[in-house]
Amino acid sequence: MKLLKKLLFGDLFDGMKITFRSQAPKHIYTEQYPSEHPKVSERFRGAPRLNINPENGETLCISCDLCAIVCPENLIKVTSVRNPATRRKDLTQFTYDLSRCMFCGLCEDACPVDALELTQDFELASYSRHGLIWDRQMLEEGPHPQRYK
Amino acid sequence: MQAAVWESTLAQELTGHFGDRILACSSYLGQNFVEVRPEAAVSVLLYLKEKAGFDTIVDLTAVDYPKREARFDLIYVVYSHPRNERLRIKMQIPEGFEPSTAVPVFSGANWMEREIFDLFGIRFAGHPDLRRILLPDEWTGHPLRKDTSILAMDQAWVQEHVGIESGQ
Amino acid sequence: MTGTFLDTNELVLNMGPQHPSTHGVLRVVLKLDGERVLSSDCVIGYLHRGVEKIAEHRTYAMFAPYVDRMDYLSAVSNGLGYCLAVEKLLNVEAPPRAQAVRVILVELNRIASHLFWLGTHALDIGAMAPLFFTLREREEVLKIFENYCGARITTHAFRIGGLYYELYEGFEAEISAFCEMFQGRLDEYEKLLTENRIWVNRLKGVGILTAEQCKDLGVTGPMLRASGVKWDLRKAQPYSGYEQYDFDIPTRETGDTYDRYLVRLEEMRQSVRIIQQAVKKIPAGPAMAKVPKVIKPPAGEVYVSIEAPKGELGYFIVSDGTIHPYRIHVRPPSFVNLQALSIMAKGALVADVVAIIGTIDIVLGEVDR
Repeated sequence: MKLLKKLLFGDLFDGMKITFRSQAPKHIYTEQYPSEHPKVSERFRGAPRLNINPENGETLCISCDLCAIVCPENLIKVTSVRNPATRRKDLTQFTYDLSRCMFCGLCEDACPVDALELTQDFELASYSRHGLIWDRQMLEEGPHPQRYK
Repeated sequence: MQAAVWESTLAQELTGHFGDRILACSSYLGQNFVEVRPEAAVSVLLYLKEKAGFDTIVDLTAVDYPKREARFDLIYVVYSHPRNERLRIKMQIPEGFEPSTAVPVFSGANWMEREIFDLFGIRFAGHPDLRRILLPDEWTGHPLRKDTSILAMDQAWVQEHVGIESGQ
Repeated sequence: MTGTFLDTNELVLNMGPQHPSTHGVLRVVLKLDGERVLSSDCVIGYLHRGVEKIAEHRTYAMFAPYVDRMDYLSAVSNGLGYCLAVEKLLNVEAPPRAQAVRVILVELNRIASHLFWLGTHALDIGAMAPLFFTLREREEVLKIFENYCGARITTHAFRIGGLYYELYEGFEAEISAFCEMFQGRLDEYEKLLTENRIWVNRLKGVGILTAEQCKDLGVTGPMLRASGVKWDLRKAQPYSGYEQYDFDIPTRETGDTYDRYLVRLEEMRQSVRIIQQAVKKIPAGPAMAKVPKVIKPPAGEVYVSIEAPKGELGYFIVSDGTIHPYRIHVRPPSFVNLQALSIMAKGALVADVVAIIGTIDIVLGEVDR
């Protein structure tokens, strides 16, 4: 019996049975990308965003500079002025260089007020090296990738 | 570092056999290491392999202390399967000194010594094939020494080839 | 030196850095006599990024993302080794909850790494179907990583002292579902490959490495276990709570390519066993030990190693009491295992060299750092 199986290529047919069975799968794993946007997880480390207080429209950032200190590649620059009335720092400029960012999430972890957050956007391509250095406005609005239908 | 003295039968055997060529037997955070004179390192390795059962070389690395007289620290880590024990052998060598190669004792030290030559510039006397392994053959300099600054290297390269200021 | 046109000379063939079967940018210069290899020489360094030099300019917490990028297929294991080494320097231990979750994620990563190895190794030999199946399974594991820490491959999952991310809703359910599904899939791979006569003929007797040669070279991991040495760092010097779990160490006798394939397949089954045991009893409690905000370990040096999927991954950290490490040296398993290539390839055919490179299971990010 074993000899018969060996002569008639039994082992090869066993393997081919598995491959043929998978020709009509119950679940198609291919994602049709541009037409269906893939679901990424909630904690996905994608594009950064500076959050705004929804009630009064002001930024949540307190210019503590912790994100800039903790970034391994020194890609964040925070500048602020001291407001004499409230005796707090007001954020003036916030630059985030995405060209060498490795999306490690250390800046997001360091922010004490959850102002800096890594969102679920991953379509970040830009036509120029300069376009990847985001200023405060781009960070607050987020990227606007051109969606193809 | 605050190292404790390591006392065990193996330490006594080593000091008994090698006398003053072993400078100290210590232990830090539970990990034992032996400091030896540079000329005696390969004989200590051979003794450990043949008599004490340390049959595998785990790692071979170097550290650079530029302010010290004997600039480099060369460290061998060996492991013994029958005793399930790991041991470090350290020695301090000045610049220009060529330690003997450990390849006759453990052939796995071949590429490890080439890497140290490549990144630190320590030549090993008697190595069968000492040439650069990780960097291109035409590279000048030894990057892991403390006096090479990679920031300066990067800025110089970007200035020369691309013409802009480097982002770092 | 006068010869007829029938004399053969030695041919130098370059399996260049850009080659579909060298698993990265590995260059092998082969000296051939006809189809037989007389000697081989590996040229590496095409992916050298100077990680050890970068480490001297970063703080301990900042360096953790760089560590993922060395062996990029098993980033979670790299992270575990680094965190264990710094925790040893600081003399703290992660709490039991963190240890259990670390074990689960590291074993999942071992499965993912071995799946990728199996798919690409089979592809090199010529079997195209296993690649699609193994990558499909690996997708499930990567989805779990993404749900947990936000990234699929360069995970940065662990922090020094424990875990940063809490377990998400459905962590245990997803992992149990994966383990159930995976057992059946592993049987499918066995049916596809293990008895297949083409597979056996290509792999049996190729690339034999004896136990003595392995120990002399410092080869560790599945290669050592396939040569007959029953040694696994998870059992010999347990870390992160491995002593609580019940698993076997698969070994084989001959040390050829077929044995290494069987050992890795069996390791995947044992990993599923560990995960199923760990997931049933994740202890409650804090996930992070008391670690100072600014990590400044006392001056000293330490060498800590773990059993990564490819072998023994070691971190040798020298601290001088400041916030920057003075020197970090990584002992990569692929770098040391790759030295065995020239010994195993002597006398083999050129097609066998492809099988041998695949069986060593190298990742060039680790070889070159």
